[in-house]
Amino acid sequence: MRSPTIAKPAAPKAPKPVHVEAEDGQPLALAGVRVEEVREDWLVEDRWWTAQPIRRHYWELITVRGQNVVVFHDKLIDRWFSQTA
Amino acid sequence: MILCVHLPRFELVAAAGGPEALTGRALAIAPSGSGPARVGEVSGTAQAQGVQAGMMLGEALARCPTLELVPGDPVQVAQSWEQTARALEGIGAQLELARAGLAYFDGSGLVGLHSGEDGLILATRKALGRPARIGVAPSRFCSLAAALETRTRRVRRVSEREVRRYLAAQPVGILSYRSQTATLVASLQQLGLGKLGALVKLTAAEMADRFGEPGTLARRLTLGYDTPLRVRRVENQLAESMRLGEANSGLLLERTLEVLVDRLLARSQRRGRTVRAITLSARLAERGTWRESVVFREALSDPRRIRLALTQRLQLLPAPAVALQLAVDEFGPAGGNQGSLLDGERTARLARLQDAVSQVRTLAGPNAALRALVVDPRSRVPERKVLYAPWQQ
Repeated sequence: MRSPTIAKPAAPKAPKPVHVEAEDGQPLALAGVRVEEVREDWLVEDRWWTAQPIRRHYWELITVRGQNVVVFHDKLIDRWFSQTA
Repeated sequence: MILCVHLPRFELVAAAGGPEALTGRALAIAPSGSGPARVGEVSGTAQAQGVQAGMMLGEALARCPTLELVPGDPVQVAQSWEQTARALEGIGAQLELARAGLAYFDGSGLVGLHSGEDGLILATRKALGRPARIGVAPSRFCSLAAALETRTRRVRRVSEREVRRYLAAQPVGILSYRSQTATLVASLQQLGLGKLGALVKLTAAEMADRFGEPGTLARRLTLGYDTPLRVRRVENQLAESMRLGEANSGLLLERTLEVLVDRLLARSQRRGRTVRAITLSARLAERGTWRESVVFREALSDPRRIRLALTQRLQLLPAPAVALQLAVDEFGPAGGNQGSLLDGERTARLARLQDAVSQVRTLAGPNAALRALVVDPRSRVPERKVLYAPWQQ
């Protein structure tokens, strides 16, 4: 029997969609887990000269479970993603 | 029976964005970044004002102050010419591609297939899909002369009997279309030899004495003799391309090239063959493209040696690039594992590993073995820092 062909994996640091509860743009909970602390936040605006511009607001968070997570809000499509930096 | 297909101003049409862009405008292809500033192909309007292809830019502008320069687009030219060639091969023609816009094929075997000579010419025109000059003659050189003489949408036929007489009346400038004889043209014109017929009046020994081998060849061509066509082999082109983010110069560009080489060598269509020649091309951030053909000293399958040869060419990029492409022009023989001088245990282990990866790939597809390659470690967008590339030893 022929083995199934493996699909090409996503890029190593590709963003993954995540459910974030936010207030005034600041994340309060991540997949139902409350955010304990915001360590840092920064904006990335890039490739604005192309047809695929990037406008992201990144947040480095500590959850109540002690996880250190980086999420960003894609301002162009209004969705949240987690990402390893 | 050799057919010569000539599409005038092929490069200019591609660079200007279509034949209609040439209408009523004095256009010329701008000089390329390297070498003397000479204009490329020129439009009919520019030609009417005295501008000629290969003329120094200053002289061209002096003759035609309204001359518009368009940047050359070698990648578009190559793609467009490849499409045209494929279309002609679709009617059964085995082509010799002299340069973009000029091709030859032997029509003898195709006459029956297309119900006669007229049917073949009709099929050729249909395949080309654009106005072309077609010359039909017993030799390649004569068919070129016929194609250059005829008007667009017309055919000029030269029979076996009239070849010598016909060629004798042609200008010596036709010799510039052949690389071996191109250098002769200026000398012949300075000597007042305007027509090819003047060459026949000299003996072969006199031609050889004064002009060497090119002279002998020119005389033979004028007498209707020619070398056989060098037809290209038809096979699917193997190419890999990648859009560039911030990685559009320096070390980052080299890493992108590394990924492309690995991808190209990992393609199953390569069937273990070595690579003899590669075309490296780029779309530039500003308008225009860049293209460089690299012929290796020997057929290679070692990614490190291929990268080494290609990386040097990246220095020739005239401007930042937004996309890079690698395409195999010619394959070498299969195999070609270039062994190292000290063939130790490490080599044997790597060979076993390569074997294992090949088996896994055969079972689970090309994505079964990949390696993470750091492309742009300082990118502000994390997904651009690392890419997966095929595992290649």
